Amino acid sequence: MSQVKNVLKLIGLYFKVNLASALEYRSGFLIQAFGMALSNGTFVFFWWVAFTQTGGRIGGYDFNDVMFIWALTSTAFGASHILFANMNRITRLIVSGELDTYLLQPKDVLISLLCSKTSLSAWGAFSYGFVLIALTQGRSPMAWLMFLTGVITGGLLMTAICVTAHTFTFYFGDASLMGNMAQEFIINFCNYPEGIYKGFVRVLLLSIIPASFIVHIPLKLARSFNATLLLALLAFSFMYCLLAYKFFYRGLKRYESGNLIITRL
Amino acid sequence: MPIIQVSKLNKLYRTRIKEEGLKASFRALVKPVYKEVQAVKDISFTVEKGEILAFIGPNGAGKSTTIKMLTGILHPTSGEITVLGLDPIKKRQKLSYHIGTVFGQKSQLWFHLPPTDSFALLGAIYDIDKSTLKKRVDELTECFELGDFLKTPVRKLSLGQRIRCEIAASLIHTPDILFLDEPTIGLDVVIKQRIRELIIDMNRKEGTTIFLTSHDTGDVEKVCKRAIVIDQGQIILDHPVKKLKYDYLNKKIISVRFDLEQHLKAPSGVTIEKTGTMGARLSVDTRVCSIDEAMRWLIAKGGVADLTVQDPPLEEIISTIFTSQPEVV
Repeated sequence: MSQVKNVLKLIGLYFKVNLASALEYRSGFLIQAFGMALSNGTFVFFWWVAFTQTGGRIGGYDFNDVMFIWALTSTAFGASHILFANMNRITRLIVSGELDTYLLQPKDVLISLLCSKTSLSAWGAFSYGFVLIALTQGRSPMAWLMFLTGVITGGLLMTAICVTAHTFTFYFGDASLMGNMAQEFIINFCNYPEGIYKGFVRVLLLSIIPASFIVHIPLKLARSFNATLLLALLAFSFMYCLLAYKFFYRGLKRYESGNLIITRL
Repeated sequence: MPIIQVSKLNKLYRTRIKEEGLKASFRALVKPVYKEVQAVKDISFTVEKGEILAFIGPNGAGKSTTIKMLTGILHPTSGEITVLGLDPIKKRQKLSYHIGTVFGQKSQLWFHLPPTDSFALLGAIYDIDKSTLKKRVDELTECFELGDFLKTPVRKLSLGQRIRCEIAASLIHTPDILFLDEPTIGLDVVIKQRIRELIIDMNRKEGTTIFLTSHDTGDVEKVCKRAIVIDQGQIILDHPVKKLKYDYLNKKIISVRFDLEQHLKAPSGVTIEKTGTMGARLSVDTRVCSIDEAMRWLIAKGGVADLTVQDPPLEEIISTIFTSQPEVV
């Protein structure tokens, strides 16, 4: 329990420093956050058109269901990139020897490196989801509860996928493409109703690319709560993150450092 | 009891090699070829508490690799390391509470924030309570004269100011050992001298053991008591600096430019390495002729337009050491 407390304390510390650093450029912060929210907002219109053309249901979802998974994807993505924006730079950090800084500190290497950068535009994605939920799910306490649960589990799963993909750099040299692809895959799969995925793809979404655990299962729980399903969601998220964590540390033994000139931004 | 013990340490890197051109790139994709590079070869040494040790050598000699193994960043291929009684790989986190590190080319400060914010975060990372941290930051601010720019974003600091903050940041948790990897790289002469004084001061006041790698013979001469010279991954010399200085750092290079045409006839202890009608490069054996004497002789000639005194390049010293050492120690 004290370890969890320490990790949360560390995340909080980095969050404060990152936010202070981001606020050094206030106008950039606001423009990027607003731009991201605006870009996401245009998709609501496209979905509304699609639903009016198809008679109100796509892949078993109605308009409000799709808005729920969109909101959840957006806020979970935003949360993971506000807190762990360095996930996209893991390959670069490994290749250029930037892990040295974290290896010299008495805290968890992976948590420290993930937390030490924030994304300004992610604030837009993060708040956009809340606005969408408020507009489309009304005052349903279960929708809000499962949305918030999904933001935590989904944000962690998105981070874990990215960490896993980038960790291959320890083995193959440069896995940045794999990291970008993993992130694009997961966002694309999260943005569409579960019913359109069949067979092998569905298996993928319940395992390696766990889009179903990120958005589809929280939606199911919001519509009809089931304690066993909630436990399965929590257990899967925990196991997936644990495996990503272990995989990273296994790879870290192969780290070769480097001597590039480095600045912490 | 030594504070650092290294025994038969080796580090082998496996690097992928590729011929020139696109064809070779495709070939390497299907059938990669690897080459093994031994960065550190079977080195052994010890460091006592409170010592200031120079670990010197040319580029690629294995200095940084050794420091990275001592601090737990890199896993050794074989051999044993004990730092403060701990194995740096197995007890990396525990050890990091007791060591500080400055890599001249890597910053641990946040670029957009003032040093004071980085100090606060580092204090929390090292679990230092607020009142102890405040006291420590005040001490370091005074010692490293950081007061004028403590609240200025790091991006606006000069290199010298930044390095002072980097060293202060690495001392925030009062480490027993400070590893300095090229701390004076890129600094001008005055700032270099100030950094050296501060390092010596820290060693005197707090008894911090200093493990310093440098390219700069000045760092070795002015700061260290003992020097280990490493080349191609092997220790080729481990001596007190006094002895090293007497044996190898007894040469200075004087470059002189004249306004008038001069024909030099060198006094004893001075060798003319290169000469033209309007200038010369001289090598001075300081055991025979002091720099003071050599400069007086040059000025007495008249018409000196410019004059610089330099240490011989470290590569030259190492090459001298290397050729004069019959065996690797």
